[in-house]
Amino acid sequence: MTTDVQRLTVVTEKQTAAVKTRKRLLSILAHVLLIGASILMLYPLLWMLSASLRPENEIFTSTSLWPSAISLDSYFRGWNGLRLGFGTFFINSFTIAILAIIGNLATCSLAAFAFARLEFWGRGFWFAMMLATLMLPYQVTLIPQYVLFHNLGWVNTFLPLVVPKFLAADGFFIFLMVQFFRGIPKELNEAAMMDGCSPWRIYWKILLPLSTPVLATAAIFTFIWTWDDFFGPLIYLSDIRTYTVMLGLRTFVDSSAQSDWGGLFAMSILSLLPIFLFFLFFQRLLIEGIATTGMKR
Amino acid sequence: MTARSIQDANRAPTTERAVSPSVWSQLWSRNAGGYLFLLPWFLGFFGLTLGPMISSLYLSFTNFDLLTAPDWVGPANYVRIFTADPKFSTSMRVTLFFVVFSVPLKLAFALGVALLLNRGMKGLPLYRAVFYLPSLLGASVAIAVLWRQLFAGDGVVNDALAIFGIKGPAWISNPNYSLWTLVVLSVWQFGSPMIIFLAGLRQIPVDMYEAASLDGASKWRQFWKITLPLLTPVVFFNFIIQTIEAFKSFTPAFIISGGTGNPINSTLFYTLYLYQEAFSFFRMGYASALAWILLAIVGFFTAFSFLTSKYWVHYDD
Repeated sequence: MTTDVQRLTVVTEKQTAAVKTRKRLLSILAHVLLIGASILMLYPLLWMLSASLRPENEIFTSTSLWPSAISLDSYFRGWNGLRLGFGTFFINSFTIAILAIIGNLATCSLAAFAFARLEFWGRGFWFAMMLATLMLPYQVTLIPQYVLFHNLGWVNTFLPLVVPKFLAADGFFIFLMVQFFRGIPKELNEAAMMDGCSPWRIYWKILLPLSTPVLATAAIFTFIWTWDDFFGPLIYLSDIRTYTVMLGLRTFVDSSAQSDWGGLFAMSILSLLPIFLFFLFFQRLLIEGIATTGMKR
Repeated sequence: MTARSIQDANRAPTTERAVSPSVWSQLWSRNAGGYLFLLPWFLGFFGLTLGPMISSLYLSFTNFDLLTAPDWVGPANYVRIFTADPKFSTSMRVTLFFVVFSVPLKLAFALGVALLLNRGMKGLPLYRAVFYLPSLLGASVAIAVLWRQLFAGDGVVNDALAIFGIKGPAWISNPNYSLWTLVVLSVWQFGSPMIIFLAGLRQIPVDMYEAASLDGASKWRQFWKITLPLLTPVVFFNFIIQTIEAFKSFTPAFIISGGTGNPINSTLFYTLYLYQEAFSFFRMGYASALAWILLAIVGFFTAFSFLTSKYWVHYDD
């Protein structure tokens, strides 16, 4: 009996040593693999950054990332590369994004509160409808929406891009907020209900203050998606004074790309900068936001 | 009135019934809150989704150029699409090719890297960030612009290949490769499904693996018998989302081909063709018919996935 146990411990000790070295080798291998993949993933972005910082005659001369001299010429050239400066486009994009954030936060949280916390006839049905709209290809509503906004005289204004956000048209955020609200203990608002609190007060005074993480996540994603949106501005904005940054870039590609890649890259980098900053400072929120949408609570 | 609200009404104390005797005011007090909170959403749902859907179904049976009133033509648009429109079949083929290659490749990368990262690696947050970044930036016009340069005949990819003595083709302007550059662009953005896989992997109880390795199950067997079955709900979710996204993809093809879908329509995504019909040629009735065909395909795909899911998706409850 004792010998058995002794033998066993000796064997396991030998084994653990072997397992340890194997594990170590595997882990080194994994790191090598991951570092290689990381470089491959980031190379295009870094290359564009470096190309935008090079003197004009050097942009295409090397695949290396390090510019021989740093020059901001491309940025100045690109900024004024179109009939109207990129300053206007940036202001337009920011305006649309900020209005979209306000709209989404206000109306999606109202809808999410109703779905997550209020009892009413037909709740399950409407919730299913809301989820179904998530799967709907936008093309199917595109043309009548265009006709509607066209007839309202809203083409070449920001309204077609902003008003839908004030009507909780982004089901994804309702879904995200419902998931979050369900995680807040129900006792909190049941107690408040007993004390005669109205649903509005519960929403405004209890639920919203506890929901800053999901509100921040929704705000950041709204910003990024509105900022990146190309299709909406493409069909609704044709006056250059109303252009967003994305439309500006597109015009740049079509008009002067062959002659001024430097300016194009510089403006591309600038257009990515706000998103990159959000990523840098709020990465955790973004990753958690993405992760929770795939999970069932 | 539903069974539940009748029950509630029965349970309600008599005093409350005395205060609000009418059925209508009770209905109001039970439901008004919910519907008031949903008011903006209802406006959007009926005004921007359901109404337009019905309207576009109607338009798909008309000729409509935005300026004059729609002209009813019956099923003529659909007949032409299926029998006499080579661009329809081309764009459908291009889109299906894109979906069939980009989605599985993207999910395979996402799952592979997630498994690698889930081993409790040092530096996990850093790797995760690096792999996630492209999927956050990827939708931008700027990235499509970058791609156009990377895969140009004298682009960075060919410069890199030249180091190994390979002379690469002009990827973007060669119809044999142009669509592949878009597949690569999509796969490059595997970060967000990867994040979802990572979250799913973390929910698998560790003791299952401990029990399995005590029973002598190899890592390989553990993956097939534990990890993958328990991860199928997440695989299913990612698969549906990514496939629908792939069907809807527009910006990269538009920017890379300058809005044309060229060379020789090799990047003419279905969405791009629909856009051209609607907004370049103002054949809005025809484009509506195209949109409803897209909806039918996406709807059929989704329904099919959900119906077959019970045979391969593992639900523990």
